[in-house]
Amino acid sequence: MIELFELRFPSDGSVLAVEGLEVRSGERLVVFGPNGAGKSTLLRLLAGTLPGGPALDSTYLPQRPYLFRGSAGFNMGLGLSAEEASRARHLADRLGIGEVLEYEASSLSGGEAQRVAIARAMARQQPWVLLDEPLSAQDEQDRMRIAAVIIEELGDRGAVIITHDREEAAVLGDRLAVLVNGRLLQEGSVDEVFSLPASDLVATAVGIGNVIDGEVVAGEGPLTSLLAGGMNIWGLGDVQPGHPGRALFGAESVTLFRGREGAAGSARNRWVGTVTELRQLGRLVEVVIDAGNRVVALVTPGSQEVLQLGPGANVTLTVKATAVRVNPR
Amino acid sequence: MDFLFEVVGDALNSLSGFGVELRRVIGLTLVVSVLATAFGVVIGVPLGAWIALGRTKARTAWLVAVNIGMGMPPVLAGLALLLLLWDTGPLGQLELLFSPTAMVAAQTLLAIPIAAGVTAGAVKGLPSAASEQLAALSLPGWQKGRVALVEVWPGVLAAVAAAFGRVVSEVGAVLVVGGNIVGETRVLTTAIVQETRRANFGEALALGIVLILLAGAVNGFLTWMQLRNARHD
Repeated sequence: MIELFELRFPSDGSVLAVEGLEVRSGERLVVFGPNGAGKSTLLRLLAGTLPGGPALDSTYLPQRPYLFRGSAGFNMGLGLSAEEASRARHLADRLGIGEVLEYEASSLSGGEAQRVAIARAMARQQPWVLLDEPLSAQDEQDRMRIAAVIIEELGDRGAVIITHDREEAAVLGDRLAVLVNGRLLQEGSVDEVFSLPASDLVATAVGIGNVIDGEVVAGEGPLTSLLAGGMNIWGLGDVQPGHPGRALFGAESVTLFRGREGAAGSARNRWVGTVTELRQLGRLVEVVIDAGNRVVALVTPGSQEVLQLGPGANVTLTVKATAVRVNPR
Repeated sequence: MDFLFEVVGDALNSLSGFGVELRRVIGLTLVVSVLATAFGVVIGVPLGAWIALGRTKARTAWLVAVNIGMGMPPVLAGLALLLLLWDTGPLGQLELLFSPTAMVAAQTLLAIPIAAGVTAGAVKGLPSAASEQLAALSLPGWQKGRVALVEVWPGVLAAVAAAFGRVVSEVGAVLVVGGNIVGETRVLTTAIVQETRRANFGEALALGIVLILLAGAVNGFLTWMQLRNARHD
């Protein structure tokens, strides 16, 4: 089942104006965007807790799950049939909250309370599942385990999941929609959007991206070459030579090699630079390189060790031209 | 000043001679007020929750009606009921005028909007996360109301206290439909009016002291319940 929606809130669309949001059975659509972009408004319209939306036949986890007076177990059973309640108890065990169900809800931690709400929401078998920041209150070490339970429980249902976390988006999503200022700016597979943002607004919204301004010097089929600070950057684009351009590419599109020689390969873009900074970013390491321009790359801690990346290290960077977008500026 | 000392002295004298009639008046006051509060709460609290748990034109209309009702002069409620219950009025054949039943009915009319208004205020004051969570749950309306009321339990107790305070201290409605008949429909407030008009100030003040103690005891109990039920987080 595929459903297409036009969503507006309020009716003049000042908070949210999305034309053609497509949700499909069996697919997890992640809506990604900065705070205040209208993500929760979009989900509330889909859930029907805000007027004027399609009110899907859905089970819905609000952004800040609220537990009412009573035990955690009482809260988990609210609105569930006997069969759903038994499924919820089973889920609670898998989510690691089986033991806290008898406790007073107000004594639970934020993460436990959210898991109670997840168990309750996932136990219902509605054809659509709407989850607003389902992992926001979870500790780093629990997040991926809970994400796995959620994905398994979704089965072949359709889901719309909201997050502003890249890693969560990558784990939870099949498809990604980027929402900024109430407008849908890009939609595509998670990899595609992260590695090839359609605009600098998207690039900023999806986080660690590389945005480099320069002048377009050549065109060759679908490719365009941009010159910026001594770097020659090839990417997909349609800007006439002689015009100012902007190159956009995701930090995970950058491959790093130790030294100034680098490795042979098909990558059109090959630059040399010096590492200036390393930052821990969740489970990955963000490497900042001066290659004539500031370029950010994402590597695993393992690669960082193997490549002996530290400030001052010389590296060769490669990026496939198809992972770069060159836009007019 | 001598006059005031004299009145207070008289009042204390009256209180020490706690007569049969005074006991009857206190008893009727309690029965009428408690029954009217109970009926008012049973109708008004769910009404208030219903008003607060959604945004429809009907609910808004009821909210306006409740707000008007909260400020309605009791004597007007009494007059309206008097006209209904009058011998030749629409409900005249019930022969309820000047009976405790009519007094309970009049005060219930006064208690409903108070209970509903205070409850609606409490439920509307739920954190937005709680309202959103309630809306997200697949519960029938009455169960949502129940969960919401349990959540704002101290607010519901405040509604009970406000309703009781309104009816126990009210004189206009009970006077009009009850008639202040000795031994039948006389309650503390109407007795105070009566004694004041006869210039029996000591007696009136004594009744006033009893009324305050009564109201204080009931509201003290409700306050204790409120504090006991307050969330510790």
